[in-house]
Amino acid sequence: MSPGSGTADVNQQARPARYTGERIKRLEDPRLLMGRARFIDDLGVPGMVHAAFVRSPHPHARIVSIDNRAALALDGVVAVVTGADLAAETAEMEVGAMLNGVEATSRPAIAISKVRHVGDPVAVVVARSPYLAEDGRDLVRVEWEPLPPVPDVGTALADGAPLIDEALETNHVAHGKIEIGDPDGQFETAAHVCRKTFKVGRSTGAPVETRGLLAECDAGSGAITLWTSTQMPHLTRTLLAPMLRVPENKLSVHSPEVGGGFGLKCHIFPEDVAVPAVARRIGRPVKWIEDRWENLSGGVHSKEMDCEVEVALDADGKMLAIRGAFVTDGGAYSSIPYTPLIDSGCAAGMLPSMYDVGHVAAQFDAAYTNKASVGAIRGVGWASGQLARETLLDDAARQVGIDPVELRLRNMLSSEPQKNIMGLSLDGGSYAESLAMARDAIGYEEFRRRQDELRAGGRYLGIGFSPFIEPTGMATASARAAGFDIAYFDSATVTVDPDGTATVSTGLHSHGQGHETTLAQVAADALGFAIEDIRVVFGSSDSQSYGMGTYASRSAVVGSGTIMAAAAQVRARLLELAATLLEADARDIDLAHGVAHVKGAPARGVTVAELAGFGYFGYDARPDDVQESGLTATAAYDPPETYANGTTAAVVEVDPALGTVDLQRLVAVEDCGRMLNPFIVDGQVAGAVAQGVGIALLEDLAYGEDGEFLAGSLMHYLYPSTTELPRYDLLHIETPSSASTGGVKGVGEAGTIAAPAAVVNAISDAISPFGVSIDRVPVTPVYLRDLLRGAGR
Amino acid sequence: MSETATAGRRLVELNVNGMSHVGLAEPRTLLSDFLRHDLELTGTHVGCEQGVCGACTVLVDGEPVRSCLTFAVQMEGARIETVEALSADGALHPIQEAFRNTHGLQCGFCTPGFLLTAKALLEENPSPSEAEIREHLSGNVCRCTGYQGIVDAVLEAAANGKDQADEPR
Ligand code: FES
Ligand code: FES
Repeated sequence: MSPGSGTADVNQQARPARYTGERIKRLEDPRLLMGRARFIDDLGVPGMVHAAFVRSPHPHARIVSIDNRAALALDGVVAVVTGADLAAETAEMEVGAMLNGVEATSRPAIAISKVRHVGDPVAVVVARSPYLAEDGRDLVRVEWEPLPPVPDVGTALADGAPLIDEALETNHVAHGKIEIGDPDGQFETAAHVCRKTFKVGRSTGAPVETRGLLAECDAGSGAITLWTSTQMPHLTRTLLAPMLRVPENKLSVHSPEVGGGFGLKCHIFPEDVAVPAVARRIGRPVKWIEDRWENLSGGVHSKEMDCEVEVALDADGKMLAIRGAFVTDGGAYSSIPYTPLIDSGCAAGMLPSMYDVGHVAAQFDAAYTNKASVGAIRGVGWASGQLARETLLDDAARQVGIDPVELRLRNMLSSEPQKNIMGLSLDGGSYAESLAMARDAIGYEEFRRRQDELRAGGRYLGIGFSPFIEPTGMATASARAAGFDIAYFDSATVTVDPDGTATVSTGLHSHGQGHETTLAQVAADALGFAIEDIRVVFGSSDSQSYGMGTYASRSAVVGSGTIMAAAAQVRARLLELAATLLEADARDIDLAHGVAHVKGAPARGVTVAELAGFGYFGYDARPDDVQESGLTATAAYDPPETYANGTTAAVVEVDPALGTVDLQRLVAVEDCGRMLNPFIVDGQVAGAVAQGVGIALLEDLAYGEDGEFLAGSLMHYLYPSTTELPRYDLLHIETPSSASTGGVKGVGEAGTIAAPAAVVNAISDAISPFGVSIDRVPVTPVYLRDLLRGAGR
Repeated sequence: MSETATAGRRLVELNVNGMSHVGLAEPRTLLSDFLRHDLELTGTHVGCEQGVCGACTVLVDGEPVRSCLTFAVQMEGARIETVEALSADGALHPIQEAFRNTHGLQCGFCTPGFLLTAKALLEENPSPSEAEIREHLSGNVCRCTGYQGIVDAVLEAAANGKDQADEPR
């Protein structure tokens, strides 16, 4: 996006024929810019008290005793509540087995007998102010009996390892295997075999706004109202109600403005149970705002994976078979609802990605360790698997002596809709086209010339490519295609109000994606209204439009499908109303930008305000279905599989003496089908790419060998700032989905999936004269210096 | 402990967004908390309380300051500007307008800190280069945008400011 590229407020420009596809400025921006949006920490209710959690400083320990006397003696402290106190009032937090070979697990919200990671909560202190709650927290005395820590997968899976979850007989909580064709036979006879192990580091979403909760309980009905910084209000209600032992109709979940999610805020956490349960227990509204240390030590982590991948190629560089084994360091608990399989399971399922390969073996495992749980963070295990596969292909290209772009082009599926070897129903794309576009945009041939010249002068530049496909619009079909036995339900309600404006309610959620704008574009087109007459509402489980929330790049697809279906029903009734008023046949009515008229007779029109007034108050002059159903409709949509694709390419310069990497260029070609708003698509890609660069170069939720957590602040857990990132070139191809309503696909995670491998391949290319290749992320200066020192040159 | 927790409150008088405010603050009360909770100016956001993210940035006598690293009692007599002041008359400030034009915000949580940091930059250097902008903003983090829209917003605000300055009065 360059400044002044023609994006405009809709009411300051000529009205487009359709709003979807236009670069429309965001309707939600003014309140955010003015500091007038209300985030969770901006809310309060009378009588509210504040919670602080006592947390484990140990990676693994038994709780011998908890002494709350000093805390309770502090003026201003209202209560100290332990796991044992809550056990009588709440149910255990359970996660079912998502697949065969995966353990079902359960846990109390607050640890009762032992803690399993640094940051695991053991008690809640409630006080008049947040400062006093923290004072009280520091006065709670816990007697610990430290247990041997399990700091990594190797320790976890060793014979006789200490058990993290004593209800299970193992730390090996998930195992699965997919084998198609005869990969072993192919590997025996192939002209070339290339192998690689790759270690992906531990990262997370770390939105700038942490999590937070505010809960109150009605003394009469027992109904609980919960405000929470979540990506999924309805699903939170469904998952949380049984844990709180309330029926769903007595739990209202509201999300205020949410300051970024990236997957972190689409889980159910211990605090989500504890804070409302404590509010109910003490009879006062309770608020809790997570601090940054809690967010990093106790939220969900992501992507740490040991990968072993190998590819068999024929003499011409044609891929014959691919094998991969992916082991997730799952942390101490199964995240709810995704479990640690969200990483290794996803890496395995996308192993062949868009390559045309006839034989595949993919194995996925997850082990419990004494770290924070692994959950669904932007890009999930797809990003880890992409790193392993795409760095393997660059190694293979060097080994065989084929250009890495050419190797990929020789092996790509055609862009037509088809089933791939894993059974994914690809809905059409631009696999080779996107790679070629990235190659040309970054000036590949010219770069190679310059690279040689600079190398002669002792400068090490490199280029890397990372073509990808991204499963989007996550719903039942795509989850099942990926092997997860789960189902989804999503709906939207479109209501035309008596004055002819429309309200669209959705079970999706926006925390930066701009749904108030994009979904209004969709609704305006589907109804034939002016966009300023549409209001999009979401964020309350009290709304009748149940939905699973926003994550997994699902909202463009699900939002378009649900809203277009509901709007079509309402529009049909508006056309009948217009037909009645204009004394014409409904099939001959046109309705656009809020005015209906008989086709070919634009002079005589009726406005939607007139139609709506008639629809509400026209008594028995109205058509029957308007009398029966009014001007509102709710529709559900469970989309088919959709897969976005594209290619990210990067240029870096490595300083071998310092081990530093200067990211000089980044080109991202994205094909997310029909774009609802290219302005917002660019923003999604740019932000996701930045997170991908962080994974490649910076982000590391490090633990010591003793299980101590070493990354509890943003000084230790680094993410990219303005100076580590270059200006990106964001390019588009628009191949409409052959499957979804409107040809739409999702876009939220592509950059995070693709960018890490592009950057790492560029680094390996830069240092190829040293005869070594990168085998882990993040590529820190220390790692890179050590790698190059060990290398001969 | 109960003494340290409640005793020693002091009267502080600050000038915030052109109005003077008097409040009681413990010596340990952070400026961020005082602004947000005592003065109910919740546009200033808190992302880390570790002095790293810059979301809590306000202007103190024109200079960007992390309100999470500052005690309210240190600010006696200071002139403080928060995001709420930028659009005091209900219209977007040109920098805010530029952020909107370039998609310089997504969730908007980091935005108040960026706006004030950018304002301080443009007051000091009305036509910064892209590299200068990136350098100046490098102490603020945004997890959503990848910064491209933010950098473009500051470039656009600078260009617009320059146009205005060039116009004959
Ligand atoms: S909240 Fe002050 S720098 Fe992050
Ligand atoms: S817009 Fe979300 S952190 Fe910057």
